[in-house]
Amino acid sequence: MTTLLELQDVSKSFWIPDERRDTIREHVFAAFRPRPLRELRVLESVSLALSRGEALGLMGGNGAGKSTLLKILCGIYVPDSGRVVANAAITPILELGVGWNPELDAIDNICLMGTIMGLSLAELRRDVDEILEFAELKPFARMHLKHYSSGMAARLAYGVAFSAVREVLVLDEVLAVGDAGFKQRCEERYRQLRARGHSAIVVSHNPYIISSFCDRALLLEGGRLMMEGAAGDVAATYVSRLTHAGHPVPA
Amino acid sequence: MAQAAVLHADRPRVIPRLAGAGLAWTLIRTDFKARYHGTFSGFAWALLKPAAIFLVLMVVFSFVFPDPSYKLQLVVGLFLWDFFAEGTKTGLASLHAKGFLFTKIRVPLWVLVLASIANPLITLAVFSVVIVAFLALAGSAPTALGVALFAAYGVALTLLVAGFSLAASVLFLKYRDLNQIWDVIAQAGFFVAPIIYPLGIVPERFHFYFYLWPPTPIIEFSRAALVRHEIPTPTGHLCLAIEVVAALTIGALVMRRHGPRAAEYV
Repeated sequence: MTTLLELQDVSKSFWIPDERRDTIREHVFAAFRPRPLRELRVLESVSLALSRGEALGLMGGNGAGKSTLLKILCGIYVPDSGRVVANAAITPILELGVGWNPELDAIDNICLMGTIMGLSLAELRRDVDEILEFAELKPFARMHLKHYSSGMAARLAYGVAFSAVREVLVLDEVLAVGDAGFKQRCEERYRQLRARGHSAIVVSHNPYIISSFCDRALLLEGGRLMMEGAAGDVAATYVSRLTHAGHPVPA
Repeated sequence: MAQAAVLHADRPRVIPRLAGAGLAWTLIRTDFKARYHGTFSGFAWALLKPAAIFLVLMVVFSFVFPDPSYKLQLVVGLFLWDFFAEGTKTGLASLHAKGFLFTKIRVPLWVLVLASIANPLITLAVFSVVIVAFLALAGSAPTALGVALFAAYGVALTLLVAGFSLAASVLFLKYRDLNQIWDVIAQAGFFVAPIIYPLGIVPERFHFYFYLWPPTPIIEFSRAALVRHEIPTPTGHLCLAIEVVAALTIGALVMRRHGPRAAEYV
């Protein structure tokens, strides 16, 4: 099986200064005063591989390092050590509607969000009707986004995001938007993409989402990889660890 | 601290290389549309504003300065400076303003920076057309070579602003008083550049130092080409080219050095 995405022994720390210096003035006046830094180790020697057509789930409590790992996978953060090998184009959906402008209408926002997500203008012109159709917003195509309800805006963002999917889709806790009908259509679209051979990395606290949408999953704890295995097993372990730690279990 | 073993080129790419142009165009188009509300009067106002300011300045200066050549040179200097000041200011703040974007998706930072200076550039382009038309109507039309040189100086000024913005935008994420420091420098720079006074009042032995401030050669050369119908010397052009290349190189190097960690600075 072809490996599309691979992380080899990736570590990442953030260095937190005891005293913040955000300005040139502060740097100049404190030039000769040492500034102690505390290391916040977010990821430690994490390795993973994603094969073509596979869906990989990522679970872990708050502060486990999931978001940092995703940002490294998506090229937003640079790891301190280790290696990231990407043999495929990635479409990250870490937040819905990145870059949208409330002063513009739906069509302009489709162009804006679509180009930000890597679609060409020709692709967007071709897909604009389909995106509006999927979002059920055709009658409101020329309405400014500031007049949309939050559900309408989220549906539009989903439409663009699903249209922009290249080879690997990266989802961070965004499969729970809209009413039951829209959720079902999102799930259908996700399954269609999978059936077409797209790979996915899905981050969620929800054991149902991980076990029903992923083939395999990883469990992160304190920046380390604690478990790797079948999605259902990892989801069950995550729930049992939360239960033992006294945390509420997501529905 | 652990050594970074991953090269920037190894960071997974989200946007294909060629899609950067489409992104730049969309950012410029939608920003322009949002700014002027997408209405015809909004677009018209965007184009009329520089023309209206030009007319106001010409009328006011006609009362204050009887010498027609001086008032034209003053207007040319003021518009070029306005682009420099506005372009560097918006360029410096561009990444800070778009932090919500590149912390969620990997986009080419240089596109965000360059798209931010499009609005002042449109104003400069409209002004350039207005002043050439005005000179032609006033019977003092610049030569074709003069117009071509003026266009080239406009490009040089844009490249200078771009080079500065590439470096300053990413440094501003680390040093949050850079905008205030730049405001002071720009204010002082307004008086260093010969905008409201002719460079001739400064002893010639100091001219070299005034020309080191990049807006000075651009303003002086533009006035020479448009108003005085003179061609600046090849040495002057060479010095200007060196300043432009230096600004772009420094900008690109600073962006290359700090850009990959920009999302961590926000």
